[in-house]
Amino acid sequence: MPEETALPATPPEEASPVVHPRDSRREALALVVGLAGWLVPGLGHALLKMWGRALICFFTVGVLVWVGAGMRGNLFTSRGNDAFDSLGYIADLGTGGFYWVARSLETNGPDVSHADGDYGTRFLATAGVFNLLAALHAYEAARGRKA
Amino acid sequence: MTSSAWAISGMSALIALIAVKLSHLQALVLFALVISVAFGFLGRRQPKERVKYILWTLLLFLLVGVGIGWAMYPFSR
Repeated sequence: MPEETALPATPPEEASPVVHPRDSRREALALVVGLAGWLVPGLGHALLKMWGRALICFFTVGVLVWVGAGMRGNLFTSRGNDAFDSLGYIADLGTGGFYWVARSLETNGPDVSHADGDYGTRFLATAGVFNLLAALHAYEAARGRKA
Repeated sequence: MTSSAWAISGMSALIALIAVKLSHLQALVLFALVISVAFGFLGRRQPKERVKYILWTLLLFLLVGVGIGWAMYPFSR
């Protein structure tokens, strides 16, 4: 596995309340990295040259979405009936671009009349929440706060 | 064969490919394995620490999953 590197942390002498142009640039870059990590799982880490983590994020979200859609889990839409549907939609939307992949794979629609479909719903939601966590990790790493 | 027929047969093959049939235990093990590996890579940097973390998380996932399953057993009938 190649050495994984992040952007260097901000030196203590620069940690002042005054906002430096370099800090705002780093913040903007971190936002782009976080957004990229959400849209395409693993892309945020790939932009930081964290190849191992990038691959793991991509394949983890991919496998969870594939299995979830294959088990005909419920993929929530924006037209939810209650708060749980809305929360499910937010979780599913966390998979970024994979949300539309899952929608195109699930041509027969969800089937939660069996336990398989219920498990599939959990797999899809977990994929989304995990991807949000990974995108946040990439964002923090880009800010130099975590690697 | 027309292009639309090709598209339909291709989509059918794709749907057949993704139709996943897993038992409860298989789904639990797959879930635990995938999430443990992902957490290990995100949470630890050194390979040795990653392996330890992955194994420990996997064991806990399986123990808690099977434990909760048995805890619910008396109420299942």
